[in-house]
Amino acid sequence: MARSAIEHDFFSKKKESNGLPPAVKSHKIERRRSFRDIQGVISKMNPEVVKSVIENGSLGGNKRKPAVSSPKETQTNISPFPVCDPTLRLGCGHNGKNDEKNAPMTIFYNGIVAVFDVSPNQAQGILKVAEERLPESAELSESNPYNQENLLDGDFPMKRTKSLQVFLKKRKESRGRNSS
Amino acid sequence: MDERRWKNLNGCSSSGRLSCGGATSSSSGQYETVWECVIPYVQDPRDRDAVSLVCKLWCEIDAITRKHVTIALCYTATPQRLSGRFPYLESLKLKGKPRAAMFNLIPEDWGGYVTPWVEEIVRSFGRMKVLHFRRMIVKDSDLELLATSAGRVLEVLRLDKCSGFSTDGLLHIGRMCRNLRNLFMEESSIIEKDGEWLRELALNNTVLESLNFYMTYLTEVRSGDLELIARRCPSLALMKISDCDISDLIGFFRAAASLEEFGGGSFSEPPGQVGEGVFNEQLERYADVVFPARLCRLGLTYLGKAELPIVYPVAARLKKLDLLYALLDTEAHCQLLQSCPNLEFLETRNVIGDRGLEVLAQFCKKMKRLRIERGDDEQGMEDVEGVVTQRGLMALARGCLELEYLAVYVSDITNASLECIGSHSKNLCDFRLVLLDREERITDLPLDNGVRSLLTGCHKLRRFALYLRLGGLTDEGLGYIGRYSPNVRWMLLGCVGESDAGLLEFSKGCPSLQKLEMRGCRFSERALAMAALHLTSLRYLWVQGYRPSGNCRDLLTMVRPYWNIELIPARQVVVPDQDGGEIVEDHPAHILAYYSLAGQRMDFPATVTPLDPNTLI
Repeated sequence: MARSAIEHDFFSKKKESNGLPPAVKSHKIERRRSFRDIQGVISKMNPEVVKSVIENGSLGGNKRKPAVSSPKETQTNISPFPVCDPTLRLGCGHNGKNDEKNAPMTIFYNGIVAVFDVSPNQAQGILKVAEERLPESAELSESNPYNQENLLDGDFPMKRTKSLQVFLKKRKESRGRNSS
Repeated sequence: MDERRWKNLNGCSSSGRLSCGGATSSSSGQYETVWECVIPYVQDPRDRDAVSLVCKLWCEIDAITRKHVTIALCYTATPQRLSGRFPYLESLKLKGKPRAAMFNLIPEDWGGYVTPWVEEIVRSFGRMKVLHFRRMIVKDSDLELLATSAGRVLEVLRLDKCSGFSTDGLLHIGRMCRNLRNLFMEESSIIEKDGEWLRELALNNTVLESLNFYMTYLTEVRSGDLELIARRCPSLALMKISDCDISDLIGFFRAAASLEEFGGGSFSEPPGQVGEGVFNEQLERYADVVFPARLCRLGLTYLGKAELPIVYPVAARLKKLDLLYALLDTEAHCQLLQSCPNLEFLETRNVIGDRGLEVLAQFCKKMKRLRIERGDDEQGMEDVEGVVTQRGLMALARGCLELEYLAVYVSDITNASLECIGSHSKNLCDFRLVLLDREERITDLPLDNGVRSLLTGCHKLRRFALYLRLGGLTDEGLGYIGRYSPNVRWMLLGCVGESDAGLLEFSKGCPSLQKLEMRGCRFSERALAMAALHLTSLRYLWVQGYRPSGNCRDLLTMVRPYWNIELIPARQVVVPDQDGGEIVEDHPAHILAYYSLAGQRMDFPATVTPLDPNTLI
């Protein structure tokens, strides 16, 4: 990376925890902070939140296990520390030009380090979602609640036991025979 | 533990002796002996469960003296684990398909095969005398294996709502199981090849006490074989059969001197519906039917008004009456029930009407169990009076104070009637209410307060079902159910509540709830998963109808060790319709989740998918 990454303290470890530091304020990554600390903090986060953040960032390859070792570790195989998967990068439709608007955003989750090139607005959006509680199937429940209800009611006709069904059918048939 | 010690231990409870041989003289030996004598008398499975947790010795004593085990879902344990834990079992009850299978909601090949169990029984359970398979798939080969290997020991075989076998399998049972006292096949789907199995049973058995093939639609039944059974089996107390004209059973009834319960048979229809002549003709045909002297439980299929005179002579001693498949209108119900002062158990359709319930309340004070099923909805098919509402319920509650079981389909309902049940029906253990969907307007909804009153009043309630409609019960009402059902172990909830909040409130309560079934509610997957985690006693959950998340992602919330989750995705089922054609039915998705020591099962059909968390992350 040519320039330093923006680090956002959205684990609220530092005092400033709201909003996003503008691209202008470039902080150095605190390389002193160990991966274990980060993992410890991540484990306190609601996994649903982090997962949705990753998904919102259109992370396509999150099913794959990370295969590349972390920059700190020299071993390549089994590493207890988060490993960086350089393929997990979000392109935001820019050609990789040195655009002032876009900056790398690094997310640590479940042993994976993911880096995205996002604009400040996109980053803000992602963080907003991360800070909110995950809405419960929001899209499904809020749109057309009555349609949902109708659908559910219509699909559950009351059922009879088999014996009763057979009996009522036979009775109907015999009445039909008698009347004709 | 050696055979001698086992004999001593089991000798204690079976013979009633308190002194047991084989005790050592040391004080710890005598101490052991005391427990060895006491524990076999402990029968309740929950007490036994507690006993087995005290110490290794008690666990061992429990293990070798346990006589009966019920496995509520056959996939919760393996046959090998059962035989390892309870090697001397004499009685086993296994259940397979979800209860919804009784209503045609579960694919036929869902599972619940008895084969692995039968193989283990034959291999390891030399003392198995009583077998009860409920809603399971039984093959002819299973029956053959049982008959050849365990035939001499088997005393009770109950194939309860099972399927997959034919009369060929029964042939083996009839031939080899000479000690069979009880053969039960009610509501099983049996492939009929011929009627030879009944003949074999008649020829080879003299100890039969109970034979039940009610609602099996077997047509090759010969009344001569039934009469042969009655003559050769002096202890025959129960006979329930498929269709067979009652006039052909006159000889049978004469021979079955010990008969206490009869169900099934049929009546041929009167040739026309004109004039007095019809009734007289029917009467002549059936006039010679005389029920045995001890008969006190009766159910006659297609029983009509014209044939009632054959029932009146025994009405006064009837304790149980099955009118589910009778052809009686409301008035006929009233007339008959007036003559049954000793009635304790009645099953019928809602044609009984409010008026019939009022008669019941007035004349049948000993009523313990009442089941009112749903008759035909179509106009003109049932009696116009044939609806049950709050009026009938209130009369029933006030009049029949001994009621323990009440299951009823109502067309209208009020909170007051539920409060009335709560005030009067203090012995109620099992309550099931279904609100029919025919009437658009219901007198008094939501039922929150009535349900609360019922639950607080009926403190012995163990089983509870409430099937309503949109607006029938609010989230607050659902919360009441959670709060006021301390002893309820099984619940069916249909179309109740308004939102996830209701379910979550409900799941904070129900401390004893082991088995929960839900249908047609509007809860999200996430709420269902959270509820499953909150309900402290829950070991079995069945849901049809819920708001899905994408890819079952939200169900992951309830993933945990020993908790199996299965899905039956939404499907379309072709069924025969009333006019002989076919229609396509939409079946919404199901979730089934249960605790299991056996891991995920290996016999999924195409229609059922296990939830594998690894594929979803």
